[in-house]
Amino acid sequence: MSHLVLRQVTKEYGAVRVLHCIDLEVGNGEFVVFVGPSGCGKSTLLRTIAGLERASSGEIRLDDRLVNDVSAADRGLAMVFQSYALYPHMSVRQNLAFGLENSRMPRDEIDRRVTEAAKMLLIEPLLNRKPRQLSGGQRQRVAIGRAIVRRPGIFLLDEPLSNLDAELRVVMRAELAALHKRLSATMIYVTHDQTEAMTLADRIVVLRDGRIEQVGTPLDLYNNPANRFVAGFIGSPRMNFIEAETIPIAGGVGVQVNGKQQRLPHLDLAPGSKIVLGIRPHSATVTEIDQGTIPLELTLVEQLGAETILHGKTDRGEIFTVSAPGQGRFSMGERIGIALPPEDLHVFNAEGQALPRG
Amino acid sequence: MSTITGERGGQASSLSSMLTLPFRFLMGVLNAPMSFLQRRFGIGGMGAVFLAPNMLIFSVFVLIPVAINFAYSLTGGTAIFFDDRHFVGLGQYQTLLTCSDYTTPSTCLQDAFWQSVHNTAFFVIAQVTVLVLVSLGTALVLNREMRARGFWRGVFFFPVLLSPVVVGLIWKWILQRDGLLNAILMDFGFERTLWLAERSWAMFWAIFVSIWAHLGFYALILLAGLQAIPRDLYEAAMMDGTGRMRTFWRITLPLLWPNLLVVIILALIKAVQIFDEAFVLTGGGPGTSTMFITQYIYETGFAHVLRNLGLASAASILMGIVLVGLTALQLGVSNRRARKEAV
Repeated sequence: MSHLVLRQVTKEYGAVRVLHCIDLEVGNGEFVVFVGPSGCGKSTLLRTIAGLERASSGEIRLDDRLVNDVSAADRGLAMVFQSYALYPHMSVRQNLAFGLENSRMPRDEIDRRVTEAAKMLLIEPLLNRKPRQLSGGQRQRVAIGRAIVRRPGIFLLDEPLSNLDAELRVVMRAELAALHKRLSATMIYVTHDQTEAMTLADRIVVLRDGRIEQVGTPLDLYNNPANRFVAGFIGSPRMNFIEAETIPIAGGVGVQVNGKQQRLPHLDLAPGSKIVLGIRPHSATVTEIDQGTIPLELTLVEQLGAETILHGKTDRGEIFTVSAPGQGRFSMGERIGIALPPEDLHVFNAEGQALPRG
Repeated sequence: MSTITGERGGQASSLSSMLTLPFRFLMGVLNAPMSFLQRRFGIGGMGAVFLAPNMLIFSVFVLIPVAINFAYSLTGGTAIFFDDRHFVGLGQYQTLLTCSDYTTPSTCLQDAFWQSVHNTAFFVIAQVTVLVLVSLGTALVLNREMRARGFWRGVFFFPVLLSPVVVGLIWKWILQRDGLLNAILMDFGFERTLWLAERSWAMFWAIFVSIWAHLGFYALILLAGLQAIPRDLYEAAMMDGTGRMRTFWRITLPLLWPNLLVVIILALIKAVQIFDEAFVLTGGGPGTSTMFITQYIYETGFAHVLRNLGLASAASILMGIVLVGLTALQLGVSNRRARKEAV
């Protein structure tokens, strides 16, 4: 278990800056997930922590030791690669033992650790096979096993589940969570899949264009996104956004949507401000066409059994998604009304920053 | 609007029709004979029809000469035409293989043949060993991130494009008595060395020049092999705390081994056949110190006043057997590799 501190870490490739002043602390035993769209710098950040890339400036501290100039091998970290990166010419046993042999560990200690890890990951019967004789899920386990035997200060996992099929991904996700608990290890996990981030993380770090957008627990990010990007990235289906201008209404400030007045949560806003309203598909409610704030023409109806996801277009052409509980009878082209409960509305200013709720 | 589109379409189609004109003309000409052949042999037989021209050329220039060569090796005399030669059975082989001590060419009936066998064996062992090691080293260096990598790769590959005779002539010009190397050395106050007229130097240069000429080809094969090794593996090895030498021995070399094996065998086959560069460079001299088997065959069969075609044929059959063995080895290796990859 290690404690990681990043201070003002930047990374540049020539004139291109891919990480901007990253400040982050990862505590002992914490499971932190870096999430963001492709190209946001999450993998680069992980590789910089690993020592596979050099930070252009800033400090990386492991247990209070400055490690900027310490080689990847000497940082005491282990990495699980997206491609697994198993040595194809070595058996599973040799793959697991290779790193330990490098550190000239006694043979019986190596054997003990390899057997222990293999038992934990249920790959004991595979120890004498070559990687090419394994399925994707088995390879994934071996890759994780290779990290476990090293007893690293921090496990670094770079999109480890993205090469698995959907079903196996769910299984491995649960196993990873269990493993984290069992080893009480510090883990940093990179993914572009917000579901993985939500289900695995103690804390999520949302990255965009090499900058940290927000850090927080999964529910923190879900309930109080700091900006429009985080609000749109976390949660599935994604949050709906409606542009509006504030007007004075009885008892405070509201907006006019579609000729109807909509109350807002108590906010410190002057009338006439341009804002963006955000509402999650599960918070908006379906009503009769004349009762809702927003009329919606349905373009797609997805029946999921327990709920029905409705996709549609507002009269202004904005795309809107709403979830109706149960198995609703809706048809494409049908017009429905949408009500926006004021307490569930997120309000962002024109720059996309969330406005604090009063 | 539609007329404009129509015109554009017309222009495009007239251009493409101009470009495909030769092709369509060819197809038109071939159409009749092809349909005739297809009617005659059926769809299944067309494969054989398409292979036939190549097989014909292969037969005329390779298969039939090999058969004739074998037939000549069973005859004696100096006559060229087969009818004028007499049958001697395995006599020529017996002549070639009669030796009281195979390690000493002078005790053999055909001492020149055995001298050339010894020279070739020495050349093959030395040249292939050094060539493979230097190619590997070159490939490892060229695989690194460096400035003007493309340029350096080109520099090493360039000699491969030269004809062997040109290679021989270039180096002869450098190494001869009044050549470039001696001129430079003498400028620096060294004495003139007869690089091509001293036994050990001549062999050294024969080996050196053939390595220089072929290095780029083998380095390229190895470079391709190196680039096929995923970067991830090196990063995983780095995270595992693997030292540079250990990474080379435990990761690079095992994963490069299939390519290395191909390189070794190809280099072996090529080295056994050594002729042109060395012949132009040293002419087999001084004495017979750089005469290789191919040159012995050439001289015995064609250059000597008494053209002993039978003996030359027998020697080439013996050399052919060695080459077939090496080729079988190469095929075996690549088949095994294909099977392994199919698992």
